Order: sequence, then C-alpha cells, then structure tokens
Amino acid sequence: MAADPNKLGIFVTSPQHMRHILGIAKAAVRAGKTVMVFFTYKSIHLTKNPLFVELTQLCAVENIAICADSYICEGFDNVNDIPRGLIDKQMRTQAFHGAILDECAKYIVM
Amino acid sequence: MESLKVYILIANRVYNDGIRSGLGLAVENHYAFPVIMNGEFPRMSNYMAENIAWISDMEGQVYSCGAEAPTDLPEGTEIANISLEELGEAMREADFIIPYGLPKQSHEPPGACSE
Amino acid sequence: MKILQVYKSEPTEDVKKLVEILNRDRTADEFKLYMGEPNYDTLVQKIFANDKTVCWW
Repeated sequence: MAADPNKLGIFVTSPQHMRHILGIAKAAVRAGKTVMVFFTYKSIHLTKNPLFVELTQLCAVENIAICADSYICEGFDNVNDIPRGLIDKQMRTQAFHGAILDECAKYIVM
Repeated sequence: MESLKVYILIANRVYNDGIRSGLGLAVENHYAFPVIMNGEFPRMSNYMAENIAWISDMEGQVYSCGAEAPTDLPEGTEIANISLEELGEAMREADFIIPYGLPKQSHEPPGACSE
Repeated sequence: MKILQVYKSEPTEDVKKLVEILNRDRTADEFKLYMGEPNYDTLVQKIFANDKTVCWW
C-alpha cells in the first residue's frame, strides 16, 4: 500500500509540545488532510493535558493511539485509567508507529 | 511493504527509550539506526543490551556520535562509533529522521537521578 | 528533493552542522516553532510542499 499523500503522521516523543501538536493537527484538518498520531514514552503524560481530548476529536479512532507499555512504565493503569478521549483498542504497541511510516506521506516528530 | 531507513537521534540521557522505539520499527521490517549523541549512554540493563543486539540482528545499528562507544558491553551487544559528518552523510539516505524526546540538558543530573 | 527543517528550540552547533549536510544540493526551507506565536497553517503548507520534514528538538 502506498502512503496516502493527504495523510500527516505525528510521532510524539516529547512531553512538552501539546500546543504545537494541537495547532498542527487543527491546521492539517482545516487544509482537508487526515492526521494520524502516536504518543510514546514520556509523551504519554500529555494524555493528562486538557487539550488532549480536543486532539482525539480531530482524529478517527483508528488514527490516534498511545504506547500502552509506555503508559504502564510511567505508572498509569492501562485498564482502569484509559485516557479521556481514547478507548481500550487505542492503547497500542510501537507497531502503530510503523503503520504511520507506511500510511502517511508526510510526517513530523513532536 | 517497503523497508525504510530510520535514524533516531538521542541527545538526552532520559530518552534512551529511543532504542526500544527503534527495535519496534526493526520488527516491522524497517532498518533502525538509533544514535546516542555526546555520550548520553543508557544504563546497560539486560533489556537494553538485548534490544541493542536485536537491532543489529535485524540489519540496523546503534551508534554513538560525539563520544567513544563503551567497549565493555555484554557479548553480542555492539555500539558503533560514527562522527557527526558521517552521521549527516548517512542521514541523507534516510527515509525518516527522528530527533527523539528532549534536547541535551545543560547541567549534570543531581544525585537523586544520576545512577 | 525538497527538505523542511523545523526547530522546536534554538538549534545547537551539532544540529546546524547536520542540517548543513542534509540540505546540501537540495531545496531547503525552515520553520522556527520557538519564535513567537507560530502560524500552524503555514507550517502545514510547508510540510505538504516538501518531500521530507525533520523536526529538531
């Protein structure tokens, strides 16, 4: 499958750029693009940021996920404390990042 | 699916998780090249050593740039040296470049988290 | 090859050197996220206008 030229992948590795992530996602949606986002390692703390829910509303369920292992490593409960805006099947592995690389013609690291 | 060349640059001692992230791509049939910048080496747990070895097994490589790679690593675990210029040239061929996590800190860590 | 360099903070000397090598013989553009209030519409336009984006720390 060729990467979708209208799909932007955002790989989030830093816990401190929620404003930029949301700003980019909103601008991409305004431009008629699809956004696919994966949060890994300490960036999963951004799921506790009030802006996170807004981000999840910009993405289809299959286009936003977080690394479940990272969430657990950081002390959160991946069963009883699923981040607001997500459901259990959006608690994923690093394979979701692989899918972003395969599916998105454009990509940015945050 | 096309195998992609992905460089993961690790500039901050807290973000050696980039190596695990590289392994995650390697198992998806991509070529992962995590690069530890300026001596920000991880604590060499069995888990970390295994991850580094697996990346090599899957035709990737963990590099050290800006500091000599440690040579006292567990058997089968290798970190190769690469200069900044060599890294830049190698990354011209990359499909993706991932500056991972946070930049280098300007101070040494306090005792509470230095070991 | 058109390449976009995005900076989340002031680039270090190492980053500047890597960017110089990556940009050589290519059409290069840049966007500084750490300067004032970023125009995200402009950034997204640039991302889609370039073949590759590198977003530094």
